[in-house]
Amino acid sequence: MAWVSTLISYWEPTLAHYLLLSAAVFSIGLIGVMVRRNALIVFMSIELMLNSVNLSFISFARYRFEMDGHVFAFFIMAVAAAEAAVALAIVIHVFRHKRGVNVDEMQELKY
Amino acid sequence: MGFWEPLFFWLFAFGALITSCAVIVMRNPLYCALTLIADFFCFAALYVLLSAHFLAVVQILVYGGAIMVLFLFIIMLLNMRRVRPASRFQVHYAIATIAGIMMFLFAAWAILSAVDMEEVAEERERVAEQIEEVEQEEEEVALRTASAIPGPEAPVDAPVLYADVNELAVEQAYAQTLRAWRDGHATPSDHKYPDFDPDRTYELPPSLQPDPEQAHVVPGREGLYGTFKPVSIMLVNRFVIPFELTAVLLLASIVGAMILAKRRVA
Repeated sequence: MAWVSTLISYWEPTLAHYLLLSAAVFSIGLIGVMVRRNALIVFMSIELMLNSVNLSFISFARYRFEMDGHVFAFFIMAVAAAEAAVALAIVIHVFRHKRGVNVDEMQELKY
Repeated sequence: MGFWEPLFFWLFAFGALITSCAVIVMRNPLYCALTLIADFFCFAALYVLLSAHFLAVVQILVYGGAIMVLFLFIIMLLNMRRVRPASRFQVHYAIATIAGIMMFLFAAWAILSAVDMEEVAEERERVAEQIEEVEQEEEEVALRTASAIPGPEAPVDAPVLYADVNELAVEQAYAQTLRAWRDGHATPSDHKYPDFDPDRTYELPPSLQPDPEQAHVVPGREGLYGTFKPVSIMLVNRFVIPFELTAVLLLASIVGAMILAKRRVA
């Protein structure tokens, strides 16, 4: 019956489960950033990566019985909101000049 | 731990994984944004499972509400359908995917090499026994409640190794920290900022002071962990300068977004 308890210890979530989930979502966001050409979807992938970092902050906070990680996640959310506003303004600006949001065509620092 | 909490963890974990994959696989940016909203809701559910209730609400309000409305608005404003390129398989897709998978494997190796699952099982049994003891003591306390004798301090003998200890243990440990702050044995900055004026004792605001009428309540049932009050107390005490700087950051981003997105005046 040892394998039953081992199976149960995998079934019940621990810190490692949350960290693995966080790493998986971070990797998915990284692949999205590298693969997709649409600038909006690149920004969505960056939001995914920020979210996965938030998840690991919060699981570490729970693991340590402290709440500093919550404050850090809160600040990350605020920074993500500011970043999304500026990034989408940049996308609008680029779209007006290029008639497209393909990141492969954004090669100049002008405009 | 029960049966339902792991079940919900797996449900929302796979939901988050599937919707994350859908975000980067979907062709139509509108579908990407909608699956990203579902992903944010899965993350909010995981925050609730980690007893971060305040952040779960903020996640839904800020990410699922504000940011995604902005994304959807921009997608519909730009009308991307005619500029979508016919993207076919290319070599750099495979290279990027392999690099991402390698990244995940490296992280997984780093995490799993720090964890011994047999040790986890032993720890879980130990914590279960401890919780049983605590519950027995609570029953005894409940019997003595009529005579208003304060109950024994619940043993929180460091079940801190893994994240799966139950809600009760989390709240007890947090309540112990709060009691230490209240009694002046420790300050919130102990062992964190050695230069922070260690002589200053931390006083709980009146809203957190123990209610004498509630004195018979078993300590550790405050249920404060992850709620709005402790986060806000930290935001206006130790993290007040980053908090104010966030206001400056948001102002700067508002001004920057306005300047970038406005039409150039001839």
